Amino acid sequence: MDESRPIFLQIAEQIENDIIDGVIAEGAQIPSTNEFAAFYRINPATALKGVTRLVDDGIVVKRRGIGMFVTEGARDRLVERRRADFSAEYLRPLIIEAEKLGITIDDLAALIRAERIAS
Amino acid sequence: MTVVATATAERELGPPRLRVGEVWRIVRLLAVNPTIFFGVPWMILGGAWAVTMVIALIMSGAGAPMDEAREGFRYSWAVLSPQWYLVVVGVQAVAYTFSFALGFGSTRRDFWLGMSVIFVLVSAEMAVAIATLVQLEQLTNGWWIGAGMFDALWYGQLGWGFDFFSTFVLQLLVLFIGASATTIYMRWRVRGMMVLLFSTVALVLILIATLTFTESWPAVWTWLVGLTPIGLTLLGLAAAAVAAVAGFLVIRRATPR
Amino acid sequence: MTSTVVRASGLTKRYGSFAAVDRVDFALEEHRIYGLLGRNGAGKTTLMQLLTGQLFPNEGELEVFGRTPAEHADVLRRLCFIAESQRYPEDFTPKHVFTSAPWFFENWDAEFAERLIADFRLPLKRPIKKLSRGQLSAVGVIVGLASRAPLTFFDEPYLGLDAVARHIFYDRLLEDYAERPRTIVLSTHLIDEVANLLEHVILIDQGRILLDRDAEEVRGQATTIAGARSVVEEFVQGRPIIGREGLGGLASVTIDGRLDREERVRAAELGLELAPVSLQQLIVHLTGADLAGATEKEVAA
Repeated sequence: MDESRPIFLQIAEQIENDIIDGVIAEGAQIPSTNEFAAFYRINPATALKGVTRLVDDGIVVKRRGIGMFVTEGARDRLVERRRADFSAEYLRPLIIEAEKLGITIDDLAALIRAERIAS
Repeated sequence: MTVVATATAERELGPPRLRVGEVWRIVRLLAVNPTIFFGVPWMILGGAWAVTMVIALIMSGAGAPMDEAREGFRYSWAVLSPQWYLVVVGVQAVAYTFSFALGFGSTRRDFWLGMSVIFVLVSAEMAVAIATLVQLEQLTNGWWIGAGMFDALWYGQLGWGFDFFSTFVLQLLVLFIGASATTIYMRWRVRGMMVLLFSTVALVLILIATLTFTESWPAVWTWLVGLTPIGLTLLGLAAAAVAAVAGFLVIRRATPR
Repeated sequence: MTSTVVRASGLTKRYGSFAAVDRVDFALEEHRIYGLLGRNGAGKTTLMQLLTGQLFPNEGELEVFGRTPAEHADVLRRLCFIAESQRYPEDFTPKHVFTSAPWFFENWDAEFAERLIADFRLPLKRPIKKLSRGQLSAVGVIVGLASRAPLTFFDEPYLGLDAVARHIFYDRLLEDYAERPRTIVLSTHLIDEVANLLEHVILIDQGRILLDRDAEEVRGQATTIAGARSVVEEFVQGRPIIGREGLGGLASVTIDGRLDREERVRAAELGLELAPVSLQQLIVHLTGADLAGATEKEVAA
């Protein structure tokens, strides 16, 4: 866990990542908040807050007495949202750093392509 | 939503009342390690008895006249040997077990009551045993060798009943003096102990001075000599009761260390 | 719906002219895990002793389960407080502690206690006086957990415990708390390890409450900004500063407050480094306030 950011956000992101990566399939059940709490050694109320955030976003749905399940279409919605944030989260810091180092936008694009081929 | 718990809790809890179980658990707590109250006093008595027996054997071996020896044993204080230890037990009950009982959620009142119960139980046990041992010692004519430990001092003169009563009172007095003096420390710490010490010394000095200046020493002397053994024991009982009540009043606002 | 378990207002405990707890106001809600944090001698133990009726306040009002705790058996039987410096009866062993505990705690779970004794490898028949610091802590932790008291205090619970034992404590606490919710107060000056267990944080220093906030709000509440002194100083202008360090032309300033995305971008554009502040670091900044104040004056001069 990252000390500096609210843990409930990190829990929510962790589950989101698992859904995007396909580790948790749509329609599958996610672990209970107590299981999350025990696994990450965090307060159960914090884990609940993280899961509640996903419920509010419509990513998971609560079935009373059974548990929490990933909704249909959750993955697509998450990918869409991450794309929207991609520019601010990743591109702007990249460009700022590149400018600091005198790397032009064209150089940057070339670097990205080269990196992609290398990997 | 936040609900104010005060009103419901007040109704649920009701007024404070005495629950026997909450006092009894203190008795059990103090006795959970039975050696403190019931083991060590008997080890001390047993040790004193063994020493007395050895002395008696040596004396008879040396050919001393055992009739006179019995007379000498009357001045032995061996029967009172556990008393010092029991003062310490009274001190420790308040100095250590009190703090622990508060941590376990006892009230000061329940602690003092429970401790008083075990003091009474221990005193009764010691009194029954010692009064009976006095009788046994007389019956066996000094454990068959003319030794004397229990049939000493004031014991063995006025029968089992008085031996029982006097031991009971002495025991209670010793325990409560240890416990109640410690409550002063638990409430007012070192300053309290100093005040207690100096005021006790001052009181004694004032008493002596008053008696000397009013020339009432002979009257006091006559009164003391005139006291029956029963009267003296009742005086001891009154002192124990005063110590018990005073300790209770002081401990109600005492704080653990 | 939650109900309030503890309510204190203007609560004060003085020793002579020294106020160990100085006019504090706070409340504890049911079924939460609280962190009572602060440096040694900040007043944590005194506060807990007031809440458990072991001390009498000089001033202020205090209600625990709806009434003053001192001498109220109905309140006290719902509490469990084994102090870090707890005194035990003469010649006591852990065995005596666990034998007598069920007489005092109505929810005592003997099986759970047995399991914990095995987990901590606690020698039952060794006199308390001869236990190591860690074993002594284990006694307090086991009583606190197995008592399942509605309001349980853990006073510096992991003093002397090794890493394995500490993790056993966290795991058992979370497991049992999840099954049987209750109000728990963890008092400690070592914060990083337990930070994630806490739902709410109360920070006390010199008898006063400095911070009384949701743990999640506190996390990431402060940020350290480092870079060229003049640029940093300009960036933090008008913000509440809680810490300041400097080295030559470089400065590192910690501010109380979150930066939004735009501010983060601007900081990056200015060439400033942003570093997150952990709960432990935040508390060091807040409770070292005198020190920070002095440095601030120095810089100004």
